[in-house]
Amino acid sequence: MRLSNVVRLYRVRLRGRLVQEALALSGIAVGVALLFSSQVASTSLNGSVAQITNGIVGHMRFQLAARAPQGFEEGLLGEVQSMPGVIGALPVLEARVNMVGPTAARTLELLGANPRLAYLAGPLVRRFSYARLADLSALALPAPIAQAIGVSSLRPVRLQIGSLAPRALVGTTLSAREIGPLADSPIALGPLFYVQRLAGMRGRVTSIFVRPRPGDEREVRSALARLAGARGLNVRPANFEATLFNQAAGPTNQSTLLFSAISALVGFLFAFNALLLTVPQRRNLVEDLRLDGYTAGMIVKVLLFDALVLGALASLAGLALGELLSVELFSGNPGYLSLGFPVGSQRIVNWQSVSIAIAGGVVAAVLGVLAPLRREICSPLTRAFERQRRSKGSIVRALVGGLVAVAATTAILLLAPQAAIVGVVCLIGALLLFLPVALTGVVAVLERLRRHFSGVSAYLAAIELQSRANRTRALAIGATGAIAVFGSVAIQGAHSNLQQGLDRLVHQLNTNSQLWIMPPGEENLLASSPFPAIELSALRSSPGVSAIEPVMGGLLDYDDRRVWVIGAPPGSPEPIPPSQLVGGELASAAARLRAGGWAVVSQALAQEHHLRIGQRFLLPSPRPAVFRVAALITNLGWPPGAVILSSADYARAWASADPSAYYVRLAPGVAPLPARARLARALGPTSGLGVETSHQRELRQRSASRQGLARLSEISWLVLIAAILAMGAAMGAMIWQRRAQLADLKVDGFRRGELWRSLLLESVLLLGTGCSIGAVFGIYGQILLSHALATVTGFPVVFSAEVPSALLSFLIVTAVAVAIVAVPGRIAAGARPAISTQE
Amino acid sequence: MLELRDLVKHYPAGDGEPVRAVDGVSLVLGPGELVALHGPSGSGKTTLLMLIAALLRPDSGTVIVDGKDVSTLSERQAAHLRLCELGYVRQAVHLLASASALDNAALKLMGTGLDVGEAHRRAMPLLERLGLGERARHRAEQLSMGERQRVMIARALSTDPKLVLADEPTSNLDSARAEEVLGLLADVCRERRTAVLLVTHDPRAAAHADRVLALRDGRLVEHEPDRLAFAVRAE
Repeated sequence: MRLSNVVRLYRVRLRGRLVQEALALSGIAVGVALLFSSQVASTSLNGSVAQITNGIVGHMRFQLAARAPQGFEEGLLGEVQSMPGVIGALPVLEARVNMVGPTAARTLELLGANPRLAYLAGPLVRRFSYARLADLSALALPAPIAQAIGVSSLRPVRLQIGSLAPRALVGTTLSAREIGPLADSPIALGPLFYVQRLAGMRGRVTSIFVRPRPGDEREVRSALARLAGARGLNVRPANFEATLFNQAAGPTNQSTLLFSAISALVGFLFAFNALLLTVPQRRNLVEDLRLDGYTAGMIVKVLLFDALVLGALASLAGLALGELLSVELFSGNPGYLSLGFPVGSQRIVNWQSVSIAIAGGVVAAVLGVLAPLRREICSPLTRAFERQRRSKGSIVRALVGGLVAVAATTAILLLAPQAAIVGVVCLIGALLLFLPVALTGVVAVLERLRRHFSGVSAYLAAIELQSRANRTRALAIGATGAIAVFGSVAIQGAHSNLQQGLDRLVHQLNTNSQLWIMPPGEENLLASSPFPAIELSALRSSPGVSAIEPVMGGLLDYDDRRVWVIGAPPGSPEPIPPSQLVGGELASAAARLRAGGWAVVSQALAQEHHLRIGQRFLLPSPRPAVFRVAALITNLGWPPGAVILSSADYARAWASADPSAYYVRLAPGVAPLPARARLARALGPTSGLGVETSHQRELRQRSASRQGLARLSEISWLVLIAAILAMGAAMGAMIWQRRAQLADLKVDGFRRGELWRSLLLESVLLLGTGCSIGAVFGIYGQILLSHALATVTGFPVVFSAEVPSALLSFLIVTAVAVAIVAVPGRIAAGARPAISTQE
Repeated sequence: MLELRDLVKHYPAGDGEPVRAVDGVSLVLGPGELVALHGPSGSGKTTLLMLIAALLRPDSGTVIVDGKDVSTLSERQAAHLRLCELGYVRQAVHLLASASALDNAALKLMGTGLDVGEAHRRAMPLLERLGLGERARHRAEQLSMGERQRVMIARALSTDPKLVLADEPTSNLDSARAEEVLGLLADVCRERRTAVLLVTHDPRAAAHADRVLALRDGRLVEHEPDRLAFAVRAE
């Protein structure tokens, strides 16, 4: 059949189903939008660190990196440059700083480099004028950040670097025109000497990037490894930061994948519902064309063209909507990741995200158009006209299939929780298999009960729910509600369990002292920025202060994980947060920790390195040290994992006594807030350190974790809204198409109210069955996801079944969808009796 | 043009006794001949048409259309037969509601691979012959039932088939319209030497038919004008 004929057939049929096509288009568009926006969010998150890294390292292959923020002697540069095969080496000093402008403060990655930058480095740093900044002794800032903190070129800002609070000059601001998407990165650049001076690290660098001569890579790496081994440094690929970040962002990416899948599924069901409205029309067309001699192939061509046009248009609309969603809703970054990485706010839209979204939209359209008609198209016509036998075993098969799927999920939960996504797919499969069984059961119960009701509403509702003509559409509507409520309950429940776990963790982490003295800044919540020890005598003599103890802590790159290491002071009442213990005995582990030579390790980290309690391991700290595993804990909310040592062991392993915070314990009865004010005064205005109460710190940490988890709530609500719209529209359309039949019933004397009540009852039963199954399976999904979070990522999760939230989701979706259906139901029930004869 | 030899089609029934929908029917139709077939509901008329159109396979017997045994055709060959050599006018008129009468009439021609323009050029004279020349550009949903039925006839005749099967083409029409449609169908088929097997309850069909046959309990019986008149009166 000619393409022009297919196009003609499409065009002449379109007018008759424009509304249904528009509904289907909007359904697919919603799915594509959710899929696309979550893809963009995920790509942007991973890509932002990769962009910064690649923007700096350019063609350099290796880096010699310090294991602690204190860095190493710049003098090593000479040794590196003189290595055979090295054609370029670039010293860099990196420091996390809090930059305070006239209107706001931002935590930034401050990068200092020397003039070689201009020809050795990547596009980010190639464009900034080293000479001008060196002449001025100034920094370059991305323009959006400068604007955010209220500073412009040649204006001063205050930096907070550890305990220092130097003033710095902003020499220039770099716009997106100059540095592209990197303008959204939290970064500041400056001449090496100037950054060293600001950070109080004269003559020190944190890494040297190396460019080997092509072909000499192996030799250069070996030489660097020898140098690093002798100095307690790391040799890594130049872009290793991106690798570390990918590991840290793993849980976020996994959850994004899951959301994408659920979002796409709900969007597809939305579209499928809408497409089912056009099935009778297409079924007539197929029957007619086949009777007129069109072959299955020709009919598939005709329908495929329908689907491709629909899929393409819906995908375009979905991309536009998804773009809007990703800008307005998903642009925030998970706060916790920016505690250890320079996560930018740039949006990265790559061809993969666009292709996946478009492919998803087109496949949904093709399936939605062709799947309901597969029998009409494919079965031989000679068989299609034979009398159909009803399959008696279908209910039993669905039941058995559902039970097998639930059993598979249980096996995954118990034996391989890391395969949670497969488990979720199994649960959705089980849910879809149980739905027709449940609906049959509900109708059977209604059949039994209806004799107790007066009026015909229950009778009519039961007939409609049993109708074979409506069966597919009814199941699709129920399935939409079921999957949406399932997704929402599972995601929200896992979110709530994780949130409760994190809340309990931050509370326990803050019980060791009443006040904290540490460098301020929104990104220093882990107290991981060491600073030179300060004179404490004035602080200790402040009224109400009972004791001040240094706490040590930092982020350590342990293989491809950026691990949080805590050096607990000897006076800590609870060096190990009790609720976070997942292996070992708390009292003995705390005693061993205080005794020294023992470490408490995150379970995920222990599993990766095959460590058991009591076993020795080498911690790759600046001065590598051997520890024994005292106990296993969660990841303390930091995805790559955590290690707790005694502060003495920390100082030994880091070859430094620099604290990252001070615990301040107050005398009994002393109020924290006035004590805080007194200590702040004692520190003086020139100090880079700040004081906050444990409560304030706890609130900040809670806020950061909530920000990190906010996307979960947003997506689950979007899924619910899409489902409500889908079910309301599909149910409303189904009822609307029944006007002639309702008019017939009115000819027979049925009243409008009776008919309306029957429509509402039918909707409540159909939507209620779907949503209740979704809620029940959602609770199971929540348990599955929570276990996966706890065992795979090691997050501190509280295990509880969020029944109230499941009930709420069930009630909201059912009630709102029924309320939406009530309007067309009322109008349809008011159809004039004459309509049936007119039509 | 059409030859049925001892054609049998039984359906299984719930009580175990099969329903004899078509039971040993033999029939020959020559070119341009119009045969009216009547019979009560459930007598097997539609089943017989479906067997001829290769929409059902007979339990035994043969259906020969233009010298070919259609009961052994593959699905694809059967489709080709219906597209090019056979016209089927259905009782239920399923036109593409939003398409024009011309597009609907040209649907089969487009399926044969003709481009839209050529298909329209061939379908237009038929519509004109059936009295729809001025309504050709109107959408199907704007046409009356009689006009829609005529569009269906135009579609069935559009590929110049050798045989037309018409299943109650006038059942939805008032008597004047029914007479008009039957007359047009008969005239056009005679002009084109197209054989027509017309299943109908309508006694007026006899006036246009060369022969009138009846089907009772799946068996073809002789012309029974009195019974036909009785059946019509009873309705």
